[in-house]
Amino acid sequence: MALSNSLYNTFFKRNSVFVTTVFMGAFAFGIGFDTGVTKFYDSWNKGKQWKDIRHKYVEES
Amino acid sequence: MISRLSAGAFRKAAFGAARSNAAQRASSVRFASSRASTSAFESVMSSPATLASASLFAVGTVAWYTHLYGNLPFISEAHASHLSDEGLHPAAYPWPHNGLFDTFDHASIRRGYQVYREVCAACHSLDRIAWRNLVGVSHTADETRAMAEEVEYTDGPNSEGEMFQRPGKLADYMPAPYPNEEAARSSNGGALPPDLSLIVKARHGGADYIFSLLTGYIDPPAGVEIREGMNYNPYFPGGAISMARVLFDGLVEYDDGTPATTAQMAKDVVQFLSWAAEPEHDERKKTGIKAVIIFSTLFALSVYVKRFKWGVIKNRKIVYNPPVDKTH
Amino acid sequence: MASFQVVKKAVSLGPTVRALPSGIPHAPLLNLAVRAPHDAHAHGHGVQPRSDVAPRWAGGASQVGSGLVSKTFSTIPPTINHQQRLMHTSVSLKNANETPDFSAYRHSNTDSNRALSYFMVGSMGVISASAAKSSISEFLQTMAASADVLALAKVEVELASIPEGKNVIIKWRGKPVFIRHRTQDEINEARTTDWKGLRDPESDDARVKKPEWLVMLGVCTHLGCVPIAGRIRKGPAPLNLEVPQYEFSEGDEKLVIG
Repeated sequence: MALSNSLYNTFFKRNSVFVTTVFMGAFAFGIGFDTGVTKFYDSWNKGKQWKDIRHKYVEES
Repeated sequence: MISRLSAGAFRKAAFGAARSNAAQRASSVRFASSRASTSAFESVMSSPATLASASLFAVGTVAWYTHLYGNLPFISEAHASHLSDEGLHPAAYPWPHNGLFDTFDHASIRRGYQVYREVCAACHSLDRIAWRNLVGVSHTADETRAMAEEVEYTDGPNSEGEMFQRPGKLADYMPAPYPNEEAARSSNGGALPPDLSLIVKARHGGADYIFSLLTGYIDPPAGVEIREGMNYNPYFPGGAISMARVLFDGLVEYDDGTPATTAQMAKDVVQFLSWAAEPEHDERKKTGIKAVIIFSTLFALSVYVKRFKWGVIKNRKIVYNPPVDKTH
Repeated sequence: MASFQVVKKAVSLGPTVRALPSGIPHAPLLNLAVRAPHDAHAHGHGVQPRSDVAPRWAGGASQVGSGLVSKTFSTIPPTINHQQRLMHTSVSLKNANETPDFSAYRHSNTDSNRALSYFMVGSMGVISASAAKSSISEFLQTMAASADVLALAKVEVELASIPEGKNVIIKWRGKPVFIRHRTQDEINEARTTDWKGLRDPESDDARVKKPEWLVMLGVCTHLGCVPIAGRIRKGPAPLNLEVPQYEFSEGDEKLVIG
């Protein structure tokens, strides 16, 4: 109850604040989502990607 | 029977054509009878002479067209075929990049490049892959630069207007074994070794087919005649392929110590060629994951918002109070 | 003309519906005001004037000059309804005394419900904006230089082949680039010049990464530019020679422009 009220009063009450929050959120979400998907992809493909085997060849040269 | 049927069909067709004309007239003028004008027409249409001349005209048209163009349009040629004409269907192999989220095995790409360079590159070009494409995929920048510098490229013109040779750079594309198609054909008994840049995408069956082809060379079965200079491979459509078996155990020596069996080399080179056909593979799959997540979330949210917006309208109640009879 | 009208009148049938001067269709044989049949159980309490029940004035006695005449009409004129009929019979009942019960649709906690609805709408906005942003930026990236062009846009120069006090001119993105291996005298000259009084004031330090190597675009080949520091001394050129992006690699043996 208190949480939803404070949420409403902080972000939703004024439209300007709401719209600003949406756009800032979109920016942050875009970065975070990209990072998250890449992290998942890397962990799923652990050992298969170039970044996982690169160390074997960089030391040689 | 046939003549009567056809005459009926003619009449129907003729009426169909006439009806559209008549319909326009009928809207303004009503005729007392439409019978008189068609009876003469009908007799012409149902006469055997008309039928005979129309049939003759149709047959003549077909004969004339066939004479001019050799065959009829929209009718594919039928011939007896044998399963071997299609090639043996390759088995489905568990490639490292088969899954929705799976990328290539990059160590395998590196080994596959070695196989390509030491074996395939003798005959097959790889036009669409530049040295720089290997950087960060299978080799470091320094390794790639060193490999590129081993190849001489023609550049120019210089300030004197002459072409000159220079060592390769990262921006250069993989060198082709033959300067042109004619040279390639003359060195290979008339057969053109295809460019391998997109070969995995260009062949039915993709990676499975290439792997099966590379490992599938056998002696021709009894009754199958293979011409001199050709080789038998059941996976190749028709069975007779100009390329001979090239991969034998221990042909190359992998620098990571992997035993170079025929199947291992075939797997590695197919992995390399799969990457060459699709260097954007990882980006494609990542974008796909993102798109599916984003759009399914958006769909769920829009369903919620739709229900939210329509809730007021759909849950509205309309009350009807019938008028009360005041006189009662 | 007149005879034509006569013939026309005689031949053509009269219209089934006439219009009154007021524009209202008049159909004398059509009784639009006819009522439902008499309900025996209404006991005279129903809606009053009824066409199927003879009103009292359908017959009666009247006194004329010759005596008393009793008249009974076998047909009656249609009852003209003077009462205005409205589309809605509930017009007089604007304030319905009964309000629908919406409690089944109401959330028990309106505050959290409101916050949730706004949150959902906001999240949809966030994700849509994010998707739109990445679509647009992906589209704009298609206009950027492709990887093969970028790969060609770098030029490597072996510095060991340039002796002190000499220039080389190489081509980079279709433009000539001067690379001068400066002598110590030239460096000193370039350093000691009062550069603040030059037309385009710029210190020599800002123009080179290593003092012995001067790299600049030779686009302005005006005679006023002496390639010691490439700074404008005199002549019509307003600016110094442009310095491209470059860096030294592999222990100062190579220069990478681009």
